[in-house]
Amino acid sequence: MDDTNNTTFNSSSSNSTYDSWQSSRPPKSFWTNLTLPVLYLTILIGSLYAFSSLYRKRKLQRAASLESWFSQHKQRDVYLSLLHLDPAEASEGEGEKKLKQVPDSLLKAALLRRALEDIQRIVQLRGAKPALQTLLQRGSVGDELWQRFLRAEKEMEEEVKDVVNEANAFAPNWGQTIFQSANEMNQNILLKQRAAEVSAQLEGERAWWEGRRAGIQSDFMKELEGESKPADAAPKKTSSDDDAVLVDGGGPGDQQGARKRKGKK
Amino acid sequence: MDETFTLIPLAIDPSTKSISTSNPALSSEIDELNKLHRAFVSLDTPNQVPPPPAPVNPKRSVQINKMRESGNASYKKGSYGDAIKMYDLAIRMASERPGWEASGLVREELSALYNNRAMAQMSQQMWPEGAVDAELSVEMKKVGNVKGWWRRGQCLREMGRVEEAAEWVRGGLEFERAGPEKANVGELEALGRDLEASLAKA
Repeated sequence: MDDTNNTTFNSSSSNSTYDSWQSSRPPKSFWTNLTLPVLYLTILIGSLYAFSSLYRKRKLQRAASLESWFSQHKQRDVYLSLLHLDPAEASEGEGEKKLKQVPDSLLKAALLRRALEDIQRIVQLRGAKPALQTLLQRGSVGDELWQRFLRAEKEMEEEVKDVVNEANAFAPNWGQTIFQSANEMNQNILLKQRAAEVSAQLEGERAWWEGRRAGIQSDFMKELEGESKPADAAPKKTSSDDDAVLVDGGGPGDQQGARKRKGKK
Repeated sequence: MDETFTLIPLAIDPSTKSISTSNPALSSEIDELNKLHRAFVSLDTPNQVPPPPAPVNPKRSVQINKMRESGNASYKKGSYGDAIKMYDLAIRMASERPGWEASGLVREELSALYNNRAMAQMSQQMWPEGAVDAELSVEMKKVGNVKGWWRRGQCLREMGRVEEAAEWVRGGLEFERAGPEKANVGELEALGRDLEASLAKA
């Protein structure tokens, strides 16, 4: 009984040792078996990740190295420089009258100048977009140019938001009207430029007319003198002569005027 | 671009509050800014920001109208020199409106004033001045401005530039036949016919 007991115990113990051996053995092989696919997967995913991150980084780098659509935004620089200006340092006065802060009105003016430049840029972008799209579809321009354009558009969006926020910080609801004001400023500037162009013609026109009138007068005087010498000239003929002189005088002057105008256009 | 900017060395004059820079490339920009700043300082709106363009401050419009009226009165009396002077003043007043006021209004005012000045100049036989003023008037307002088109055509004709005048009137007719002053286009048409006739004769 004891023996059997012992044997059973033995067997059980041996059994258990066998069990423990068996249970510890297969997991080991299981893990070692797993290492291969895991290794495979890590290498695969790792290489994919490395490739994608490298690719993305390169792409970003290329995008960043693209020339920006517009030149430097001077007005924005001035505005931000004013914001960061240390007034005591910047004011030129000798001690007795140092500014405590940059005047608000100056900052507002700088902000409006910035909005004006933004409007001009937006107008430029809107004008360029359809033409650029057509050119891109026909393959006349490269993709790079399009990328630059898209980036400029996105930057302008950010810039406009930024300006609106700044304007609202100065005065409630100014953000809603600052771009309206800037737009009118832009229109007025264009109007004044055009008016100046037209007014610039005045001096030339006046000088031309002075010369022309003097020419007509002297021609007329000659005509009168010529008329008084041969007294037998019929009055009907003089009137036709007069006409001819006028047309003659008009011919070269007219051409000159036309040429001048063409040159200006 | 978003978080960076180029710091520009700027200096402020403490008494006039105008800024200056040592960078010559920026000097024109700084000048413009100082000009705009002066306009800001004289603003009397709350918060000292420019008002929206829609309702315009009527003070200046009233003054301009007054000047135009007195110019018209002098013209009717026959003192064309005085009329031209008044129109000059009104034009200066209208073009010195602050930049952010409605540009449509500026166009309208200047167009009428240049037109009137052209008329006064034509009465004094100042053809080149009249021609330029009429062109300015047309430039400000192309449609609904039969008088402007007619006046420049007439001035050019008086100066003997018939061909140019005919071309000008043709252009004017194209604009005006479709415009709101269709009914008054007859005078311009008559001028055009005259010009074509004298061209055909020459």
